Amino acid sequence: MRKCLFEDQIDDYLLNRLEGPAKDRFEEHYFNCSNCFAKLQERDELISSIKSRSAWLFSRERQPEPKGVAAALGRMTDWLTPRQWAVAAVSATVILFTVFGALPLLRHQSPQFTLSEGEVVRGQSLSLITPLIDVKAVPAYFEWAKLANAADYKISIYNGELLWSASTTDTRIAIPEDVKRKMVAGNTYAWQVRAFSAGGTLVAVSSRVRFQVVTGN
Amino acid sequence: MFLTSLYNTVMDANKPAVDLDELVLKFRPVVAFRVRKALGGSTPDWEDVADEIITQVIEKVRNGEFRGESSIGTFIYTVTSRRIVDFIRQKTKVLKGGPEPSPWPDPSEDAETRERARIVAGAVQQLKPKFKEVLNLYYYQELSREEVAARLGISPRRVSERLNYAQKLLRKRVRS
Repeated sequence: MRKCLFEDQIDDYLLNRLEGPAKDRFEEHYFNCSNCFAKLQERDELISSIKSRSAWLFSRERQPEPKGVAAALGRMTDWLTPRQWAVAAVSATVILFTVFGALPLLRHQSPQFTLSEGEVVRGQSLSLITPLIDVKAVPAYFEWAKLANAADYKISIYNGELLWSASTTDTRIAIPEDVKRKMVAGNTYAWQVRAFSAGGTLVAVSSRVRFQVVTGN
Repeated sequence: MFLTSLYNTVMDANKPAVDLDELVLKFRPVVAFRVRKALGGSTPDWEDVADEIITQVIEKVRNGEFRGESSIGTFIYTVTSRRIVDFIRQKTKVLKGGPEPSPWPDPSEDAETRERARIVAGAVQQLKPKFKEVLNLYYYQELSREEVAARLGISPRRVSERLNYAQKLLRKRVRS
């Protein structure tokens, strides 16, 4: 719809800023222009409402602007609708639960290790030192890295099935002679170490490392 | 009642070039607005004056005084303006020394107006502070656009934009 030239005078007329011939022309115009008269009525209703309820509408505007966190929160309430506040509250709850509830649980939870098809445990990782590759002779000892919270280690040697297992408080162990004799050149073996706390809780598990005792030694 | 009976008489007596039914429907609010603006909503006689003017217009149309030299709107505007001047002349002595009529109609004058004012004010209250602030400065404190702009540190054009947008929002909220 094309804007009427007199529309810009509506406010001036209602606020008594039009005088003399300009006022007469405007008044004559709205007797002839129903569009302008409708806008004039609407604007008059707005101004009347503002004038009559100014104390309620603008009481806060006339007060000095409060400062600080409370004021900032107050201004936020002006911006957000109740629904937005509800969404914000739910979001904040979820975030707080995640940060203070779930994350610490996850942080204390040890990584998960699959020891065998039916055996899955959680624990820290434990590094094996030797043997890690094929050896020319049956190793005299097996060695792994020390863990601060481990009091006891249990080593297991496999040749398809458990060949030998033993516990030690040290980070290396020599295998007994009878076990050595069972380890035949040309066969592949695997070994793994589990670390336990002083209370007997499993705290770390190494990967299962394979090595072969090569022939010709 | 008097207005209705007179109106019916006019319709029965002649076949006026102007549709009087439409005339009353269309111009009664315009005349009432003009009269109330001139006399003030608190002047108790303003509605009677508006009715008198409509009656005069119907009589004049019936008597052939409206010859189509101007638009019917201009004709009614002229009749209205003259009657307002007459009314003010008659009442000047009475009003002199009396309380100054409020330039703004009192929204409590009837239930419908009061309810409308409540709805509009409620819609204004829900506006964002930047829009309320412009309405406050421009319509309540009656500053010019330039003064509002200087007060808020924005351009006069921005003031106009905020006023227009605030009115658009209010229109939408009041109608919904």
